[in-house]
Amino acid sequence: MTLEQLLADTKPALQDIQQRDLADIKQAADWQAKYRILMQLGKKLPAIPEKMKQPELLVKGCESRAWLLHYHDKSSDKHYFVLDSEARIVKGLMAIMLCLVNGMSSAELAKFDLSHKFEQLNLKPYLSQSRGNGLTAMAEKIKACCPAS
Amino acid sequence: MSGFDVQQFRSQFAFFQLQPDWVYLDNAATMHKPKAVTDAVQRFYQQHNSNVHRGAHQLSQRATAEFEQARDTVASFINAKHRHEIIFTSGATAALNQIAFGLMHTILHPGDRILLTQLEHHANIVPWQLHCQRHGIYIDVVPLKSSLQLDLAAYQQLLLKKPKVVSFSHVSNVLGHIQPAQQMVAMAKAAGAITVIDGAQGVVYQQPDMQQLDCDFYVFSGHKIYGPTGTGVLYGKTESLEQLTPLLAGGEMIEQVSFVNTTFNKLPFRLEAGTPNIAGVIGLGAALQWLQQYNNNNLIQHKALLLKAFFNGLAQLKGVDILSMPVHNAGIVALNVDSEHPSDVAAMLDQQRIAVRSGQHCAMPLFSYLAKPGAVRCAFAAYNTLDDVNRCLLALEQAVEILTA
Repeated sequence: MTLEQLLADTKPALQDIQQRDLADIKQAADWQAKYRILMQLGKKLPAIPEKMKQPELLVKGCESRAWLLHYHDKSSDKHYFVLDSEARIVKGLMAIMLCLVNGMSSAELAKFDLSHKFEQLNLKPYLSQSRGNGLTAMAEKIKACCPAS
Repeated sequence: MSGFDVQQFRSQFAFFQLQPDWVYLDNAATMHKPKAVTDAVQRFYQQHNSNVHRGAHQLSQRATAEFEQARDTVASFINAKHRHEIIFTSGATAALNQIAFGLMHTILHPGDRILLTQLEHHANIVPWQLHCQRHGIYIDVVPLKSSLQLDLAAYQQLLLKKPKVVSFSHVSNVLGHIQPAQQMVAMAKAAGAITVIDGAQGVVYQQPDMQQLDCDFYVFSGHKIYGPTGTGVLYGKTESLEQLTPLLAGGEMIEQVSFVNTTFNKLPFRLEAGTPNIAGVIGLGAALQWLQQYNNNNLIQHKALLLKAFFNGLAQLKGVDILSMPVHNAGIVALNVDSEHPSDVAAMLDQQRIAVRSGQHCAMPLFSYLAKPGAVRCAFAAYNTLDDVNRCLLALEQAVEILTA
C-alpha cells in the first residue's frame, strides 16, 4: 500500500460520507442511532497499514491512538488526508472532520471553522472535551497542515 | 444490609439529588463530597477566612486552630504516633515528589537501587525516575503473577539486591487488587529498606494504621476520600521525615534567613512551604470526622456486596473480558469488551449516564505488560447502590450489542 493508493481509496469514502451520511447523523433519532452510523463511517475508510503508522503521524492527546496522514498537492494547492484510529467512534467522528476539509485549498483550510460546522451537525459536545477523545487535537493537527502564509 | 443504610449515607451528597440520572462509578478518579465537607469549606470562607500561623489577630488564630485540628483528625484517623508526622500537601502526587526529591543525597546515593512494582501509578514511577536518572540510581521492578497479583517470591529475590527504598501502592488504581502491605513492609524492613506506600486508593478502603503497618511513609489524596481537591497527606515517621530535604521552600517553613544561610522550622512546618490550602485541609478534616461516624467494616461489606453483584452480572454478559479479580479487591473492576477499544465502550456508557474512566489510568507499564490498549474502570464507593450496579450492567449490555452488531 502506498500513500497514493491510500489517498485514492480514502477520497471516495470521504465524499460518500459528506454526501450521504452527514444528513443521517444530524437527524439521528437517539444516541444509539447516531453511534451506529458513526461506527459505520469508520468502516468505510481504508486502514493505514501498520508499518506506515510512523510516530510523527500520531495525534497527541488521544486516549486511543489516532494517526493522520497529510498530502498537499502543490500544483493544485489542495490538501488531502488519510486517518486511522484504534477506537471506532473516534474514527467515525474524525472521518466527519476530514470529509469537511478534504480537498480544500490552503486559504480555505486556514479559515475553516470546524467548531461552527460541528455545532450545525449537533456534534459540538465531542469537540469540547478537554482531553480524551482527541478530536480537538486532531483539529489542531489538521490546521497545522496549512503552509505558513 | 444490617448496620448500614446506604440511602441515608447517599442522601448526604448533594450531587445525587442534583444529578439523579447519573450513575457515578469514577470514584477511583475522585469522589463526591458530603454536605459536612462543603459546609466546612463554606463556613471557613464566610466566617473566619484568614491565613494560618502568622496573623496578629483572632481570626487567624481561629483559622490556625481549625487547620491544626484537621492535622489531629488525620493523625488519629491513620493512627500516627505524633501529630507532626502529618504533612499537608496538594495531593498524593506532590507527596511522592517530595519523598523522591527529599531522599536524594540523604539516603540515596549514586549506585544505589530502589524497588517499585509493575502496577504502580505514574506518580509512583516518574518522580523516582526523574531523580534516579540524574543521580545514577537503579530502579528494579517487582513483577506480577498471572493472577495480576504481585509475585512475592520475586519480591524477596529483588530485596536481596539491597534496595535503599521500596515504594508500592496499597491498592492498585487500575485493578483494585489489595496488596499485602503489612507483609511487604516487614520484608522490606528485614532487608534494611525505607518503605513508601502510595495509599491513594488504599486509604478509602481500609483505614490504615500507621503504627501497625510500620512503614516509613504513607501518602494519599484528600479528594479520593470524600475531601476537597488540592489536598493530600504525606505521613512519615519522625525520623524518616527528618531525612527529607524540602522540595519547596518559602514561608513558614523557615526559621532564620540570611543570604549566607537558612535554618528551617521544625516538623511539620519544615515541609509545608507557602500558604497551605487552608480551606481544603479544613474540608479534609471534616471529611474524615464525618466518615468516622460510620463503622468501616459496614462500608467494606456494602462495597463487597456491590462488587459481588457486579461480578455475577458480568459473568452473564457475553464478550466481556474482566481484568480484575473478585477477591482481595477494594471495589475497582477493570474490564474490556472483546476486541473493542475501551474508549468506545466508555463513550457508550457515557451516553447512558454511566460515569467511568477508560484508558491506561496513568499506569502505562501495567498495560504494556498486559499488552492491552487500556481498560474501562468501574470503581465503586460506599454511596453506590445495587441499582447503580444493575444500571451499569444494562448499559454495558447495550454497549456490547451496538459494538458487536
